[in-house]
Formats: sequence, C-alpha cells, structure tokens
Amino acid sequence: MKKFLQNKKLLTTFIIIIIVLAVLGISVNLRRKRNTPLLIQSFGNDIVAVGARVVDVPVSLVSNGLNSAHSILNTQEENNHLKDQVTDLGQTKSRNASLEAENKQLKSALKLKSTLTSYSMVNASVISRSPDSWSDLLVINKGSTAGIRKNMAVMCGGGVIGRVVEVNAASSKIELITTTDKSANRFSVQAKAANGKNVHGIITVISGNNLAFTQVVDSNKLKQGTKVYTSGMGGNSPKGLLIGTVSSTTHDTFGLSDLIKINPAGEVNDPSVVTVIQRKVTG
Amino acid sequence: MRILREWILAIALLVALILDGSISLYLHQFMVYGSYNSACLLVPIGIMLIALFDDTNEKEIWLALGTGIVADIYFLGIIGIYSVFLPLICWACQKVARFLPEVFWARLLVVLLGVIILSIYSWLILSMVGMISISDHLMLISLIPTVIWSLIFTVLTYWVWGTLARDYPFMINLDAYR
Repeated sequence: MKKFLQNKKLLTTFIIIIIVLAVLGISVNLRRKRNTPLLIQSFGNDIVAVGARVVDVPVSLVSNGLNSAHSILNTQEENNHLKDQVTDLGQTKSRNASLEAENKQLKSALKLKSTLTSYSMVNASVISRSPDSWSDLLVINKGSTAGIRKNMAVMCGGGVIGRVVEVNAASSKIELITTTDKSANRFSVQAKAANGKNVHGIITVISGNNLAFTQVVDSNKLKQGTKVYTSGMGGNSPKGLLIGTVSSTTHDTFGLSDLIKINPAGEVNDPSVVTVIQRKVTG
Repeated sequence: MRILREWILAIALLVALILDGSISLYLHQFMVYGSYNSACLLVPIGIMLIALFDDTNEKEIWLALGTGIVADIYFLGIIGIYSVFLPLICWACQKVARFLPEVFWARLLVVLLGVIILSIYSWLILSMVGMISISDHLMLISLIPTVIWSLIFTVLTYWVWGTLARDYPFMINLDAYR
C-alpha cells in the first residue's frame, strides 16, 4: 500500500479512472432522471445546434441533389401507385371530415374537453444524427421554447419513430424506437385481434433492431398486416398513433409465449422532418 | 488575428464535429448494411492525425479533452466516451509518432487501429451503462464498414489536418519562432 501511494504515476492513473467513472455515472443518472439538462449543457447543445443548422445547408443541398436523381429513376412506378391511392383519398377525406365534426359534437354534448386521442403537433427538422454505430439518437431544431417536453412521441413518414429524451431551449434529442437502450420508456400499444377484441401490450426491440409486440395480455393471435397503434396508457403518448403492422407471429426462444414481429410504419432510416406529438390529457 | 490563428485548429474540429452529425444523418442509408451500422468518425480521425503530425504540442491533449466533452454532450448526453478516448489517443499518438516513419501508410494504420479501439471502447461503455444492448458478434461485424468508411475519411482529410497541424498549431504563436 505504501509503495502504491508513493508511485505517483500509478496513483494519478487510479484517481483519473475513479473521476472518469464518477463523471460517467453522474451524467448517466442526470440524463435519465432530469426533465431538462443542466443549464451549461443545454447552452452548449444549443450553440452546436446553431452551427449544425449552418453546416446543414450545403450538405443537405448535395444530399437532396443525389436523392432527386435517385427519385427520377423511380418516378413512373411511383406515379402509377399514387394514382391508385388518389382515387380513394377524396372519399376518405370527406368521410374523415364528417366523422371529425360528429366527434366534436358528441364530445361537446358529453362535456368532454380532451380525451386520450387529443393531441397537438410541433414540426421540426432533424439537424444531426449520433455518429457512432451503436446509439440511435437524432437532434432536432426545436426545444422547450416550442413546447417540446421530455418523453413526447415523435412521428415521421406516417408512423411513430421514437420519443424525446433530452430537451434544450432550442434543440432536442430523440431516441429512435429501434433503440436497444434498456432504460428507454416503451410505447404501450394495442391492436384489434381477428375476433374483434383489443389486444394490449408494449413495444420492445428484439435482435437485429426489429420491433416486437410483447407482454400481450390476451392470447388471441394477430393476423399478418394488422395495424398496431399506441394505446395512450403509458401516460406520455396519446392514443391512436400508428406504430406499424404485424409481419409475423412466432414463438419466443423458450417456446412459452408468442412473439409478434412488427414492421415499423415510420421512416426510421431516413427522417429529415419530424412531428413531435404533444398529448393534451396529462399524466 | 494572432489569437484566431492559434484557435483555428479548435474551430476546424468543431466544424468536423458538426459534419460528423450531418454526414451520419444524410449518408445514413449508405452507412447501414442490414443490421450492421458504420460510424462516422471525422473528429477522432482528425485528433489522431493532428497528434501524429505534431507530436510536440502537449496543449493538443487539452484540445482533445474539450472536443471530447462537447461531442459527448451534443451527441450522447453522457460524458465518458469521446472525453476519455480523445485525450488518451492524442497522448498515445504523440508518443507513437516519435518512433513512426513520417509516411501516409504508417499513419493510416495507426488511425485505423485507433478507430477499432474507439468502436470497442464505446460499445463497452454504452453496454455497461445500459444505453445499448448489442451482441459482440454484431459489434465485431460492424467494425468492417466502420474501418472502410474511416479509411475513406482519412484519405480525404489527411492533407487538411496535416496543413492545419503544421501551419496553425493549437495555442502556439509561430511568429515567436520566425
């Protein structure tokens, strides 16, 4: 022990390792528990985010040019597909408008102000993505000043892609739904089974960044193609946000419970503009 | 203007840090191969090349520490990945540079080795704190695209970092030597 204490290099290395582990532990703890990061951290993030917006302009121009060239090659095929969709769209829109009006009238008749399906939206642009291979984190250009709060659901391309994990004044971090973070909040979801009953569970990530519908409380099997929506039961996201569709139903590795694989509906791989969903009913 | 010359390297690293995030976002579809992701490591490559080009300036270790803290806070929200790896690799590269031939191929090998160590270190720490749960098999295969992309980035930025490290050393007034 005396030799160890007299060896300055060894002692310094030991102290540095302790400090690094302490800082790591404290920062992980702060990230999980605090609703907003420390002021200095928030300020630093916003400064870099401003720089990212400036750098993004030329980078996005080049990237959009490449994507446009790629899109032109698929134009004819896409056009045919969209023509089919447009014929249905008019009918769906008018039906949606009449149902919305009816819903409003019924809510006012029942004196209901907000329900689990009520939410407001904030649109934001993605300015950065974590450069390492492992974590699925995005940075967007809107923060607490735009009304964004921690744990809000985030959508892109028609489906949920993740949730907000850190909110600064003018930027926020989003953790994708495909994250393998063990401490991440999971979406509570529901789907309509073949017999008409609602099946509840949560979304988890299985091997290969695939999504699965687990902790299913009902043994009714879900058919391939069944749509899975948020149930609004988790307290953070509203009811009725599309998560994805059932791709297959198998048994887990122990053969004891069903493993329902899900194809995500949202644009997880290439999100550029996202919508943050603010639930109106709190808690 | 003299102060600006002394801080140009720090500004270049900040731009590289922002580019890391932008490239990861816009080129993501080209950096993902099934379940295997490639990392975009412009900043670590920059720090390693700066240390290999200029092995006498000890202030670069502090620059690496500062860059590491900003990168950790901005990208991950936790401190302990880049803020530990960057100063350590900067110090190690400065030591290695004294024995290494001053040629591109030798420096490229050191940079690629550093990239592999960073990938394994970040996987280890992020797994330890529970932020990721990725198998060692997936991690090892992901090293291949990461090394290939790092090779491309090193070739593209080698001259830039070399010029900056030689002509604009961090916090050193070159006029004092003229």
